[in-house]
Amino acid sequence: MLDFSILTENLDMYLVGFKNTIMSSLIALVASLILGVLVAIMRIAPLKPLNWLGTAYVEIIRNIPLLIITFFFFLGLKLSGIYAGTLALTIYTSSFIAEAIRAGILSVPKGQMEAARSSGLTYGQAMRLVILPQAVKIVIPPLGNQFINLVKNSSILAVVAGLDLMYHGDLISSRTFIVFDVYIFVAAFYLILTIPLSLGVGYLEKRLAKSN
Amino acid sequence: MIVFDQVNKYYGDFHVLKNINLTINKGEVVVVIGPSGSGKSTLLRCINRLETISEGSLSVNGLNVADKKTDINKLRRNIGMVFQHFHLYPHKTVLENIMLAPKKVLGQTDAEAKKIAQKYLEKVGIADKANSFPSQLSGGQQQRVAIARGLAMGPEIMLFDEPTSALDPEMIGEVLDVMKALAHEGMTMVVVTHEMGFAREVADRIVFMDEGKVLEEAIPAEFYANPREERARLFLSRILNH
Ligand SMILES: Nc1ncnc2c1ncn2[C@@H]1O[C@H](COP(=O)(O)OP(=O)(O)O)[C@@H](O)[C@H]1O
Ligand SMILES: [Mg+2]
Repeated sequence: MLDFSILTENLDMYLVGFKNTIMSSLIALVASLILGVLVAIMRIAPLKPLNWLGTAYVEIIRNIPLLIITFFFFLGLKLSGIYAGTLALTIYTSSFIAEAIRAGILSVPKGQMEAARSSGLTYGQAMRLVILPQAVKIVIPPLGNQFINLVKNSSILAVVAGLDLMYHGDLISSRTFIVFDVYIFVAAFYLILTIPLSLGVGYLEKRLAKSN
Repeated sequence: MIVFDQVNKYYGDFHVLKNINLTINKGEVVVVIGPSGSGKSTLLRCINRLETISEGSLSVNGLNVADKKTDINKLRRNIGMVFQHFHLYPHKTVLENIMLAPKKVLGQTDAEAKKIAQKYLEKVGIADKANSFPSQLSGGQQQRVAIARGLAMGPEIMLFDEPTSALDPEMIGEVLDVMKALAHEGMTMVVVTHEMGFAREVADRIVFMDEGKVLEEAIPAEFYANPREERARLFLSRILNH
């Protein structure tokens, strides 16, 4: 049977970790979304050098392990664990988000851009007012999945003493010499974050399917 | 007003427009016909630089279209374009579709743009659909909104690329009627269409294209009764007998 006294006796530590995981995930979520949109537009804009830069970014970042990016900031640039981890998480996730957004933009029919441009709108206006609002619908489900991955991946912070949920789980486990129960509660805390996200994505997916 | 002078265009190795010389005057209605793939859409799309020409010169209202220094957005606000598949913005209402460019490009206020949009919606006969979304309209209605959207910018030139080809037969008439009214008001129009009734009634000139070349230019009565080119004769017999 699960020993709930582990949870109650170490609740303070669990909660500190939980709070840090939420903070780090939230910051990485917003930052990776902004970065992802910028990189997606770089890849699509009618300017070759920008395309190359965007493509290089995506292909390099998403094809190396998150752990290595984290070590780069932690060991290479000597940032603190929580900064290094959050930064790495942001950059790593942004490459996947950029791809999801790019796919969404490309799925908007070509005629939309042509109609907008032929009426005298600039490329930027056409993108902002005509293309992106349509792309958002298509992009929301894959973005949701990226955010769920982001929350789970935030456990990378534990490796660099990033004070997150996983890190505090490790602490509790090494103090109590209990492994199984400690990490079951850690998992439960992650589920508190990811299950609502997952349900939310499912709900949006259904609503968007209906509106088309 | 629109002058093609020795215009050539290539897609890679493919020579899509060959030595085009064509002048379209103010107030003229020119109908472009020809087999599929002959370059009609490309010709039209060069006029507002949706496609760039490779050689020669093309000017609209004295502005050199190919010149990098020409303000392309300024040129485009004076040229309305209507597409085969309408390309209305699906996330915007009919009214918003029409108001977007006048507000963002011409800097009209919301009230001004709305008034003008309503005026053109009345003109194309669907004022009651102002707050509908495009997906709630029939094809004929969508195409009429697209025409109103073009007109709301107050352009001097309207381009139509097969505006009735994607419509059910019973809706073709309502769109052609709007276009005829426009022609009678003196709008300069370049229309790719195989609708012979429209061409006979309002076209000043027929331009027949084949394999990237303008093979024949003639007034409609002459062209349909007695095309000079063998290719044109063949093409006409094919569209008449289908
Ligand atoms: N972007 C493009 N790249 C390469 N070939 C093209 C492109 N657009 C059109 N073409 C080719 O150019 C030719 C003329 O096309 P188009 O102007 O659309 O003809 P039409 O409107 O008379 O049917 C066709 O053979 C078509 O396949
Ligand atoms: Mg065509």
